[in-house]
Amino acid sequence: MSRPSRPANALLARNEPMVWLTGAGLVVGLLMVVALVGFVFWQGFATFWPGPVVSVRTTDGVVSMGEVTRSERFRPEPSVTAALAPEVVAAMQAGDGMVGRRLVRIGNFELTGEHFRWVEDFRLEPGSESLPEWAYVFERTAWGRFYGVPEAYLDGESVLSEDPAAVRAMLARAPAGAAAPAVRVRTADGVLKDLPTATIVRCYPANHLSTTGRIGVYASRWREFLSAEPREANSEGGVFPAIFGTVVMTLAMTILVVPFGVMAALYLREYAKQGWLTSIVRISINNLAGVPSIVFGVFGLGFFSYVVGGRIDALFFADALPNPTFGTGGLLWASLTLALLTLPVVIVATEEALAAVPTSMREGSFACGATQWQTIRRVVLPRALPGIMTGAILAMARGAGEVAPLMLVGAVKLAPELPVDLNFPFVHAQRSFMHLGFHIYDLGFQSQNSEAAKPMVFTTTMLLMSIVLLLNATAIWLRTRMGRSGSGSKF
Amino acid sequence: MTQPVTTPHPDRLAAIAAGTIVPAVIHPEVGAEDPVLEVADFSLWYGAKRVLHDVSLAVPRGRVTALIGPSGCGKSTLLRGVNRMNDLIDGVRTTGDMRLAGDSIYGRGVDVIELRRRMGMVFQKSNPFPMSIRDNVTYALQINGERNRGVLDAVCRRALEGAALWDEVADRLGDSALGLSGGQQQRLCIARAIAAEPEVLLMDEPCSALDPIATSRVEELILAMRGEYTVLIVTHNMQQASRVSDFTAFMYLGQVVEYGPTARLFTNPRLRETEDYITGRFG
Ligand SMILES: Nc1ncnc2c1ncn2[C@@H]1O[C@H](COP(=O)(O)OP(=O)(O)OP(=O)(O)O)[C@@H](O)[C@H]1O
Ligand SMILES: [Mg+2]
Repeated sequence: MSRPSRPANALLARNEPMVWLTGAGLVVGLLMVVALVGFVFWQGFATFWPGPVVSVRTTDGVVSMGEVTRSERFRPEPSVTAALAPEVVAAMQAGDGMVGRRLVRIGNFELTGEHFRWVEDFRLEPGSESLPEWAYVFERTAWGRFYGVPEAYLDGESVLSEDPAAVRAMLARAPAGAAAPAVRVRTADGVLKDLPTATIVRCYPANHLSTTGRIGVYASRWREFLSAEPREANSEGGVFPAIFGTVVMTLAMTILVVPFGVMAALYLREYAKQGWLTSIVRISINNLAGVPSIVFGVFGLGFFSYVVGGRIDALFFADALPNPTFGTGGLLWASLTLALLTLPVVIVATEEALAAVPTSMREGSFACGATQWQTIRRVVLPRALPGIMTGAILAMARGAGEVAPLMLVGAVKLAPELPVDLNFPFVHAQRSFMHLGFHIYDLGFQSQNSEAAKPMVFTTTMLLMSIVLLLNATAIWLRTRMGRSGSGSKF
Repeated sequence: MTQPVTTPHPDRLAAIAAGTIVPAVIHPEVGAEDPVLEVADFSLWYGAKRVLHDVSLAVPRGRVTALIGPSGCGKSTLLRGVNRMNDLIDGVRTTGDMRLAGDSIYGRGVDVIELRRRMGMVFQKSNPFPMSIRDNVTYALQINGERNRGVLDAVCRRALEGAALWDEVADRLGDSALGLSGGQQQRLCIARAIAAEPEVLLMDEPCSALDPIATSRVEELILAMRGEYTVLIVTHNMQQASRVSDFTAFMYLGQVVEYGPTARLFTNPRLRETEDYITGRFG
């Protein structure tokens, strides 16, 4: 007797569709992550690579010299095309009506009034494009970059040397070992400008760099980025204060949240009588994880800063009033706010870890005559430690990437001092601080010179992601080291 | 409810199943022994469900006493009642009492922690703690505040030797106990249970998760402990009960049916029901 065949069922029975469906789900998720991370890292790594300096002249006689930051194709407005020569328009129409254009970072802001300039291909004067051999890029402490050919170096009005080789040799040692207070540079327009060497952060002949030279500039920019303070409204220079602030704030938050979360979870799981009350508490904790982080920020500002901080100020820092000491955003309040925000993560993870400790272990301990606390302390906690560490790691990752509440409770665009330094009492919990997440927001959306700041957004994002990764890796390493004597769990 | 019936009862098991309390048949040899643990009219409820019905049992000092009976008859419950492990379960209610060397176990104001320190317990599934072998064995002493390294080491060695594990782990006492094999873990749990010199050692099917070789080692161990320790052991294995125990109590649905010397019970029981169970005709 043959059964009627049911192809759809037969296929399902062989599990193939589900394998493909679930696999596809994973692949889509992975692709998105890889694409995002890959894009950020690609852009982030490319930011500091020194490109060539291009010089072009347009038909209106304007010379633009600088680094090409972007090139794209676009469709010009009809009013623009109407004014063009007929053969240019015809060539354009023969294609798809699109023309190329490049965004050139022309710098020399004090002379040109702009940092960037669009150069459309159809406005180029034929044959005018060149890579001037000795064009220099000057990175300065103010006014952005300067592009030009150095001609002499001088002290005040007296020219010390006009020998190009000597000038270049002097610049190679600038700014640290500069032999003269100023260098005279000729811009692409032929204007002469004297740059004080003290304002030069870094300079290099962009079109005359060997690969080693480029790597040298790249490395020196990275070094500055990681170790120096920001300049030029954060769009140039380093992010060291932000790195420092992020790490200190995250560690402070972790130190605050883990003991509280573990204690809460211990009471909830080990001491409390399970019933509807504990269920309600559990549901509330889980819901807390869904509260928008900005709400925590508002709470932190309203309660920690204004109420608690205001009280502390009135009691201990009355002579400084009306300037607030603790009564405003600061490291302590930011850490506390984020601790509150990540508390559910720690509680839930710890509870799960505690629940996973077999009852037989607790019974074994009680049977030996141990008290409840001895059982928790010696058997339950060691066994649950890897799970608790996982909770701490999740909380850290969550806290390090949070920005919105920080804007309200202490992260600032530019902090004059680090929250931890060598001056007594070393940890200044009331100080506001810089934070990479907030720095990204500031660079991306608050910057005056947004084109120059944009690549820094990627680099900073990359850095923040790396720091979170590093913190997590450290915690995982710690966890495996702790777990070795105990239960030997896997990640 | 019918009136309590005296022996011999025409159909004991049916009466027990009907909820009647049938007095156990207790051999006179039991009375000749010196009891270290006495269970007196002990009853236990899980919520509304009564699991033990007025159980009375005297466990002789320095002997091995086996509890046998069909699954679900309350052997584990009775055993866990002795060191009040049932306190950890919500909704447990008891009546009656037990006495350990004359001290009440369920009396008012009893220090349960102190009480448990006087007993050791070995569970069906080995449950070593996530710590070193040495710390596992000396756990009971450490929580009792013993710090002296010399004392701890001596106890550790004596207990491990008592559990026939010393030779296998002597060179790695500092290693995690979780790295031991299943059989070694169970012997470690036995070592842990005897480390504090308990007055009674409670064992709940200590061999059910072990292979035959490990089982025979544990059995040898129990045999060797005879005289030195009082052992109350639950087992499903009739051969095991006959091999290791001096006395055997046969339980059925929360009541003791017959209790006497193992040799007598296995060769010449007073009751047909006991014989039927031992020979595997029911249960
Ligand atoms: N925690 C509990 N809550 C409610 N009922 C329980 C609980 N533990 C045991 N019981 C019930 O009590 C009765 C006796 O259980 P117990 O574990 O003492 O039996 P046992 O004789 O040890 O059986 P086995 O030989 O299978 O181990 C069973 O009917 C069981 O369902
Ligand atoms: Mg049992």
